[in-house]
Amino acid sequence: MQTDRSNPVRVVIVGGGTAGWMTAAGLVRLLASADYDLTLIESDEIGTVGVGEATLPHIKTFNDMLGINEAEFMRDTKATFKLGIEFVGWDKPSDRYIHPFGTFGEPWAGVDFQHHWARAALAGEDVGSLFDYSYAVQAAARAAFEFPNEDPKSIRSTYAYAYHFDAGLYANFLRGWAQARGVKRVEGKIVDVGRDGNSGHVDRLTLESGATIEGDVFIDCSGFRSLLLGQTMGIAWDDWSEWLPCDRAMAMPTTRTEPLISYTRATAQRGGWTWRIGLQHRTGNGMVFSSAYCSEDEARETLMGAVDGALLAEPRVLRFRAGRRVKGWEGNVIGIGLASGFLEPLESTSIFLIQAAVVDLANLMPTRGGIDRRLADEFNRLYEVHYDRTRDFLVLHYCANRRAGEPLWDHVRNMKLPDSLAHKIALFEASAAAPDYKYGLFSRDSWLAVLVGQGIIPRGYNRLADRLPMDELSAKLHDLRGRIRTNVDAMTDHADFIASYCAAPILDASMESAA
Amino acid sequence: MSAPHCRRVVVVGRDAALWLSANVIRGALGGSGVEVTAVELPSRLTDADVYATLPPLEALHSQLRVDEAALLRTVGGVFTLGQNFADAAGAGEPFLHAYGAYGTVIDGQDFFAYWLKARGLGLRVGLEDFSLTASAARQGRLLVPDDETEKFGRSDYAYHLPAAAYARSLRGLAVHDGMAIHAAETIEVLPGDGGVAAISADGVRIEGDLFVDATGDGLLIDALGVARESWGDIFPGDRMLVASAPKFASIPAYAEIRAHAQGWTGLYPSLNQTHVVQVTASSLSSDEEAFQVAAATGGLPLTDVTMRGLDPGMRASAWAGNVVAIGGAAATFDPLHNVDLLGVQTGLIKLLAFFPVASDFSAERSEYNRQVRGAYERLRDFQALHYRINAYGASFWARARQSEVSPALAHRIALFQARGEIAPYEDESFAPDSWRAFFIGHGLVPDSYTPVIDRTSPDEMKAQFRHMLGFVKEQVLRQPTHDSYLQTMTRRGHG
Repeated sequence: MQTDRSNPVRVVIVGGGTAGWMTAAGLVRLLASADYDLTLIESDEIGTVGVGEATLPHIKTFNDMLGINEAEFMRDTKATFKLGIEFVGWDKPSDRYIHPFGTFGEPWAGVDFQHHWARAALAGEDVGSLFDYSYAVQAAARAAFEFPNEDPKSIRSTYAYAYHFDAGLYANFLRGWAQARGVKRVEGKIVDVGRDGNSGHVDRLTLESGATIEGDVFIDCSGFRSLLLGQTMGIAWDDWSEWLPCDRAMAMPTTRTEPLISYTRATAQRGGWTWRIGLQHRTGNGMVFSSAYCSEDEARETLMGAVDGALLAEPRVLRFRAGRRVKGWEGNVIGIGLASGFLEPLESTSIFLIQAAVVDLANLMPTRGGIDRRLADEFNRLYEVHYDRTRDFLVLHYCANRRAGEPLWDHVRNMKLPDSLAHKIALFEASAAAPDYKYGLFSRDSWLAVLVGQGIIPRGYNRLADRLPMDELSAKLHDLRGRIRTNVDAMTDHADFIASYCAAPILDASMESAA
Repeated sequence: MSAPHCRRVVVVGRDAALWLSANVIRGALGGSGVEVTAVELPSRLTDADVYATLPPLEALHSQLRVDEAALLRTVGGVFTLGQNFADAAGAGEPFLHAYGAYGTVIDGQDFFAYWLKARGLGLRVGLEDFSLTASAARQGRLLVPDDETEKFGRSDYAYHLPAAAYARSLRGLAVHDGMAIHAAETIEVLPGDGGVAAISADGVRIEGDLFVDATGDGLLIDALGVARESWGDIFPGDRMLVASAPKFASIPAYAEIRAHAQGWTGLYPSLNQTHVVQVTASSLSSDEEAFQVAAATGGLPLTDVTMRGLDPGMRASAWAGNVVAIGGAAATFDPLHNVDLLGVQTGLIKLLAFFPVASDFSAERSEYNRQVRGAYERLRDFQALHYRINAYGASFWARARQSEVSPALAHRIALFQARGEIAPYEDESFAPDSWRAFFIGHGLVPDSYTPVIDRTSPDEMKAQFRHMLGFVKEQVLRQPTHDSYLQTMTRRGHG
């Protein structure tokens, strides 16, 4: 077994963006250094996409696993806190709702909260919106922030948080961190990929300089190019543009404006949607659109009209397609990040998908015994679960809209849904039951937020909820709303919290990279 | 909202499946205006039958406000901490499937990988020695969970319940609650729109909105033409023997399953007798031979002997039209791992979660069928594992090694063989430690373990192992013996 210390497994990571450095940092932390030799190849000439400046709460688990000091990391990446995502105009142009990183209410009499809420609402009680029962939604709506309470009985323990950060700076931060712990960084462009004649495994990479790098395991973090997984191993692309027709993104930074909100904003537009992410030193903006329904000029105009600060750089355009490779691991090549798949940043899932792949890979990492297909099979099974569930959740934002008369929105409202999603929607409408997975994204509360936020209202509820007398239920609902309001009112302003906890040194914002 | 649909629920069946269904539905939904009628068919249980249960039943009992001590006193039941699997010929080491954790986390990682690593380095301490539950069972003691043991890990237990007495006790609960009960020798199913309109019970017409088929055979679900998928290619046994034997002088807190050339014989102690259950294949032995093997393997005189056919399998849909099949009508499991009542419980808990709200309940029904199928297939796979990877010698077991496996099980076996990991699946009922107990018990040695545990220093690992073994020893010694606990419980009942 893993006893031969003289001959470590050589792991080569191709590409140094967010995916590459998260992989390097995660593996150097999780694997014993004597058994694995980690090398990362990157080229300063190749730009990185810098996926997602917004994250999910899972990133904190990843950072904690690395043992990163939060305040230091936030200072270095000019980060702010994120309690959820506000969706503006996704149902009807005038509607808005927040998908929070937290729960809705609490289970009573052994029955999930939404059934009690639906029951009271259907009985005509004055129960307000489901979103009144989310601490995270109410805190976000006030641009407030504080750390969650650790006492599970406290209403202030019912949320989690993520970050908005500069992804380029995060990759830099992890680069320093990983190099200090033994990851070798090689600068250079790959010009040739060598394969073993018998196994078909990749065995060496040749750089422009003529140098060759040999390895046992190759991790493809080369981005959209998918140099090893797609090009060399020829793993096919499973295209999801049938359900997710957006295929362009235009990114553009602007100056910071006030108030510094503690959530991401995603606003539906005629030809796609725009994002707004407030960092400490600037605001990240962008538009995701479908080239079939929206020209680049129209996108630029829409984006310019949507921003609320002064321009720091010209918009740049990225082309993509929604989907994933049929497999994430083939032979001795594992794709992580954009090299394995792409889903638009609507729910900030890119970095989560990287993180999940890194942790799964560490557990299933080949040992000196060589490549074992059985481990690859498990990696691929988990990879499918992560991607496919995320896809259904994203599609829900599009299909359940009432933006009649706008061609893109008419199309996505009428398209044929994946069966798995059509069933989830029908079940929620009938009975208020929301998907509740043991593994992977997204939680029941996330589904609830988007189902209700998109205007899908249940006609029924779990009849076990009837065990609670209606007057008692009304009183409990009233009390819960009050508790949330009182506690949220006492919270610190997000900008003040950032200033005292992790303020980044102030530089001229225009000097910053617009990564 | 408008007056709820599905007001009248008619539960048709027999024995525990009937009375658990009727009591659980009434207890949960009686307050919501749901009326439950029980149509009781003649029992098929003899005094030799036993319900050997799994830990989740305790939670269902508390939902029904069944007092544990009172129940065990009334029916002559006892506790069980697991099952001991042995080769009747004495070959190989016996192993326990204990209903508790094996070892505790180290550095945030599962214990099991550390044990694999240590074993590779020459450790000779068995996996069971790191389990409070298994160690207590081996020493004739119970393991009563408390704060200290909870910190170590899960220490669950289940029961051996004389079946006829248990069914009567559940029936008593229904009578006490004033449930409408119709006893009938035979029933006729009267079809209607959307499924079944009514049941004719010995000529009496009983109408309902929703029918629960707890008949075992599936009299109602059959009437709707729902097909049954056989698992005959997966499970090698097709004949079951049930018998009664004298009680043990000292009552073990586990069941003993002995494998032999013809199949297996299980000994399930209860308070006043030992229940014997045996599974064999009719193509390998005659009824008479099977009986002789049961007597010889148990080493006990047998009375009340019954032979029955056994045909594991499940319905294509457990819920069709307005009929929900619960228990044997939905799925028949091999008797080896005591999953029968877990199957009933899973069906009922999911029925409560997706109980019809309106006249169109097709979405709830399809979700119910999806989840129940998933759960039953995972239970089936868990059982199939035992047959597929067994290391016993002779004919029945050699045939079992050739049995079919689902793609999911084939993957789980391959992953365990490769890395010692249990692939996580959504609808799984058994904890990873249960899977590990069988893999290791049958002698599968993984080719590697997850490298992420190599960060823990060998000294730290050794210290943790020593600490765990010391803790297990100390905790087990302060536990009551099964006998003394049962005596105290019985005395309390009379005082």
